[in-house]
Amino acid sequence: MAALKEKRTCGQRCEDFGRFVWNSDNGTLFGRTPEKWVYISLYYVAFYVVMTGLFCLAIWTLMYTLDPYTPDYQDRLPSPGVMVWPDKYDEEHIVITYNSSDKVSVSKMSSCLHNFLGQYNDTLQKDCDHNCTKGKYFMQHNFLPGTHTKESCSFSVSQLGNCSGLHDPTFGYNCDMPCVIIKMNRIINYLPSKNNTQDIQVNCTVLEGEENVKKIEYFPENALMDRSYFPYYGKLAQPNYLNPLVAVRISLTGKRSAKFQCRVVADKITYENIHDPYEGKVVFTLQNLHVPSSPSSVHHHSSTL
Amino acid sequence: MVEGEETNFPLNARDCLYLDWSHNNGHLCRPLQDDHEITIEELEMRYDTSIKKGLTSSFASQVLERDGPNALRPPKGTPEYVKFARQLAGGLQCLMWVAASICFIAFGIELARGNLASFDNLYLAITLISVVVVTGCFGYYQEFKSTNIIASFKNLVPQQALVIRDGQKNQINAIDLVVGDLVEIKGGDRVPADIRVIFAQGCKVDNSSLTGESEPQSKTPECTHENPLETRNIAFFSTTCLEGVANGIVINTGDRTIIGRIASLASGVGNEKTPIAIEIEHFVDIIASLAIAFGFTFFVVAMFIGYEFLEAMIFFMAIVVAYVPEGLLATVTVCLSLTAKRLARKNCVVKNLEAVETLGSTSVICSDKTGTLTQNRMTVAHLWFDNHVHAADTTEDQSGQSFDQSSETWRALARIAGLCNRAVFRPDQEGLPRLVVGDASETALLKFTELTIGNIMVYRDRFNKVVEVPFNSTNKFQLSVHELEDPMDLRYLLVMKGAPERILERCSTILIKGQELPLDEHLKESFLTAQMDLGGLGERVLGFCYVYLNEKEFPRGYKFDSDEMNFTTSDLCFAGLISMIDPPRATVPDAVMKCRTAGIRVVMVTGDHPITARAIAANVGIISEGSETVEDIAIRKRIPVEQVNKSDARACVINGGQLKDMSSEDLDEALRSHPEMVFARTSPQQKLIIVESCQRLGSIVAVTGDGVNDSPALKKADIGIAMGIAGSDAAKNAADMILLDDNFASIVTGVEQGRLIFDNLKKSIAYTLTKNIPELTPYLIYITVSVPLPLGCITILFIELATDIVISLAYEKAESDIMNLKPRNPRRDRLVNEALAAYSYFQIGAIQSFAGFTDYFTAMAQEGWYPLMCVGLRAHWENVHLQDMQDSYGQEWTFGQRLYQQYTCYTVFFVSIEICQISDVLIRKTRRLSVFQQGNKVLVSAIVFQLLLGNLLCYCPGMPNIFNFMPIRVQWWFVPVPYGILIFVYDEIRKLGVRRNPGSNTFVIVDNHPPPLPLVFLVAGCDLKHKEKVSAFFHESLFCFSRYFTSTPH
Repeated sequence: MAALKEKRTCGQRCEDFGRFVWNSDNGTLFGRTPEKWVYISLYYVAFYVVMTGLFCLAIWTLMYTLDPYTPDYQDRLPSPGVMVWPDKYDEEHIVITYNSSDKVSVSKMSSCLHNFLGQYNDTLQKDCDHNCTKGKYFMQHNFLPGTHTKESCSFSVSQLGNCSGLHDPTFGYNCDMPCVIIKMNRIINYLPSKNNTQDIQVNCTVLEGEENVKKIEYFPENALMDRSYFPYYGKLAQPNYLNPLVAVRISLTGKRSAKFQCRVVADKITYENIHDPYEGKVVFTLQNLHVPSSPSSVHHHSSTL
Repeated sequence: MVEGEETNFPLNARDCLYLDWSHNNGHLCRPLQDDHEITIEELEMRYDTSIKKGLTSSFASQVLERDGPNALRPPKGTPEYVKFARQLAGGLQCLMWVAASICFIAFGIELARGNLASFDNLYLAITLISVVVVTGCFGYYQEFKSTNIIASFKNLVPQQALVIRDGQKNQINAIDLVVGDLVEIKGGDRVPADIRVIFAQGCKVDNSSLTGESEPQSKTPECTHENPLETRNIAFFSTTCLEGVANGIVINTGDRTIIGRIASLASGVGNEKTPIAIEIEHFVDIIASLAIAFGFTFFVVAMFIGYEFLEAMIFFMAIVVAYVPEGLLATVTVCLSLTAKRLARKNCVVKNLEAVETLGSTSVICSDKTGTLTQNRMTVAHLWFDNHVHAADTTEDQSGQSFDQSSETWRALARIAGLCNRAVFRPDQEGLPRLVVGDASETALLKFTELTIGNIMVYRDRFNKVVEVPFNSTNKFQLSVHELEDPMDLRYLLVMKGAPERILERCSTILIKGQELPLDEHLKESFLTAQMDLGGLGERVLGFCYVYLNEKEFPRGYKFDSDEMNFTTSDLCFAGLISMIDPPRATVPDAVMKCRTAGIRVVMVTGDHPITARAIAANVGIISEGSETVEDIAIRKRIPVEQVNKSDARACVINGGQLKDMSSEDLDEALRSHPEMVFARTSPQQKLIIVESCQRLGSIVAVTGDGVNDSPALKKADIGIAMGIAGSDAAKNAADMILLDDNFASIVTGVEQGRLIFDNLKKSIAYTLTKNIPELTPYLIYITVSVPLPLGCITILFIELATDIVISLAYEKAESDIMNLKPRNPRRDRLVNEALAAYSYFQIGAIQSFAGFTDYFTAMAQEGWYPLMCVGLRAHWENVHLQDMQDSYGQEWTFGQRLYQQYTCYTVFFVSIEICQISDVLIRKTRRLSVFQQGNKVLVSAIVFQLLLGNLLCYCPGMPNIFNFMPIRVQWWFVPVPYGILIFVYDEIRKLGVRRNPGSNTFVIVDNHPPPLPLVFLVAGCDLKHKEKVSAFFHESLFCFSRYFTSTPH
């Protein structure tokens, strides 16, 4: 015990450590002879090779059991999320701020939407609508022969009407009638409503600044997401699948700032999960920084459209 | 011990004049007073007092003001807040404090960078601090409780003293005594201060608590020695006056008394760190260096990958903190206090929690004799009559065998012993042991005759005592004359006892089988042999004889004169010898034996005489049968002592005088070469030197003792053990552990519990360490491969603090051979060594990590995220603004959904660690034996509890948002099971290796003895020489390989 309790000076400690690093008496380096180090390293290499092998085997078995078309479980996807474009955030919330008199700001917004809608380009869409019956779930129990895929109904950007960007490449951001696009996340085999009769509809409400909102318009008409886009069968089965979209054109007035909640309404879509604000709905603030001095200008703009 | 032998006061103050004791703070070696040498008149002058009237009250109060009260100043108590602070400042605690501050810094950095979301570091810091504080409170409470138990043993009744002031006798509190006071003491009193005796009548004092002598010392007014400690005219503070009366002048009070000086000598001895504290510091060193090495490596890696400096810094801190075993502190504290409680039930109270373990590491016990090994009461041990030695029953509860009592001679002997005896039982006593007023040997005889012939008081009344001559040092005998109980028989009976040779001189006949035979040479010789034999056993021998006085010469009414002795005192009839000793406690020989089996050396260190000490040592087994000292060999071989080869002698008895002339090297050498040591007539300082010498030789030393003279050694020892009933307050103050029932055998229990706790701590630590790796690797993979975080901070805390402690509570019974092993070698057999850490971290921990990741990737893949997709996913995964992230199947996930998926991963990783840890705890619960050889119900219930807790965390509603646990799919519980089985099998193979190669210790990772095995030997399959079977070859070589990596770097 006494030896352990001895108070050693720093120099002695360093010396001891030095001897630990290289002990010339028995030729040990860090407490082992180089020879022993080689063998112990070999053991560890072998150990880890075997362990990694077992791990890889386990992962391989796992992959082997997986169905490439559908995931085994969708425990964390009880209800789809909903998102709005342009997806401009401040710190935490979606705040779509633009300045209708500032060209840079307008083009930023419109290019965001153009990018987003790029994949919906009409020419890219194959015409495969022959089996799509509007208003009914497009159930496909079997794969198409040959390609081993399933058909998907096309969604062309023209269905968005005035918000398609085809007629107005600025999507209304150069005035007080900007378009936002609502998209619902896709979930494999998910049917938003129980029966074939209820519509899947987008419904936007004004949460704050109701006096600044003159009008809300939906494209396609009735804000419908057609049932023929559901269910989704996965990336592998439906490589060309596109989520149905709903564009919302909002006419701002007054202070030109308001907070909206756009909800996809269907009986199976929940939207009141406080821990996931994007489940079944999206909340965003829309604001035009350019507030014209005279009320006539508002009138002028709206009249041109 | 023949009465009257020149006694040599063991507390030899000259020792310190000649020797340079390292602990000599001058307490005992102040120039000693000559108060005992000067005349009474000079003494009166010196202290302004009078031997008739005493001090005047007014002067006494002046002196009291000057000198202070006559009481030992209690050792400076540690303030409570310091005691509490100590609980917060151990090795592990410091580690946790550092970790907590790192967490605060990391939190500060995150906050400064505007990352408001991450409060994990803050939670972690708070948890770390609360763990330290809570365990601190727990430990403090435990120690507080045992302090209370000990305090309750203190004698609170204030001592009284009879003092003469202004010529008036007064009863005052002893603390008000001052130097110069004239005091009176009588049998039964405690001596209230150091006193110069000026008048004494048959005064005997028991010095055993001061010097360890069981013999009472007589006090007389004459100065018999120049040394105040050896002279007879000084009685010492706190010793007990057994009989007689004395008057004396107080010459020292309070701390200036001899006892006060010894007590303060003890307080000058510093407290040593306990072995377990040293072990834990060693462990902390290992942890800290590993943590920093790991952290730094990944800091560099993170910088290389391209993280920002601050981010890499946070990684570094997180890794360092992740290395801190949060649960271990609680585990250690809980283990220690559970054992302390268990010991308290067995009447061992531990003052300092850590001392619980010290006893287990003990390799030498230095035991005091009187009161510790022996009963501290004289008892009749042997009788010699009818020309035979008879052994009496010396057990405390009279449960032993008695001798044949049918002989007439015995009846005569018992009558003499009963009648020629002045000791009496104190009246009005109920229950045992009954208190006796009288000399120790008379007490022994009284109790002995009471037991053998019935109520001795009634018996004495039947034999009316006519005259009595008390013992004095010139006569060396005591006699009394009685009337006979038969009223018709008018003879007087003279009974006499005394030093055997003096008695024999007066005898002409001897009683053999009831027949009075002439005392011839043959009988005389056998008498002498018996006397020598009994004396050689360290026993005090008394002779007994009687005579019926001639009826004509001494008719009824004859005036006997005790001074003149006008009656027959020669030609008596010799009845027999009775010898007495302070016998060993019944449990001691067995306990000493057990200590020996456990590889613990028991060394006797006593203040008593060498012969007595040796006899007791032989009796209890400290000197084993057949062991000889150098002197014995010299006598047997008939050669001078110098010619004896010292290494031939197993035993050695060294007395204080010899010790004084030995250098510390000599002492070390003596301790090294003689396994059986007895030190006799040692002073308190010498006890200290012996302890130091043992410690120099690398032993962990336990000291047991009860007297004030033991207190410095008790303090110096690694663990001091004091006796609760017989022990003096000074001894109790200095000790770390107190045996409430004074039972030496409790020490064996203590050793067993201490070893058990060390084993169990080792197992717990091995278990706790292992899961540090599966807790750490997720973070490392997260940094380097950028997968979504597999294991969160709160989850880790749950593993550490909830499930871990539960498992460690599963107290393991001793592996059957625990008391047959040698004490651990503190230099080699560490609590945690590198081999254990490497095995836990890089093998078992690695397997657990693989298990966790398998389960993690399973949970991810089955929910839609393929393993390869996970790689590099971190940036997108953690992007709060990305609400439609696509998985491997094309499904789109919001951030919230991804977060719950991440919690799912935490949970499956948690479950994997839990499952693997069940396997781990099973393998850790035995060090050598297979799990199947040692079942444990508590362990099974702990595992079940752990699983239930895991289930509660997973499936209790609300958990996801409170503690980030998700209700996971049932089959994910089973993914890690194959890995658990792998761990189990892997370790069973290792243990098989341990058992198959008991000598090599290569498979032993826990108790490690480095085996430098040549490689050829290894690869060729170890012991092919011995094990010819080729079929065994494969297994053997497998073992040999595992042997290599498990061997210790030395």
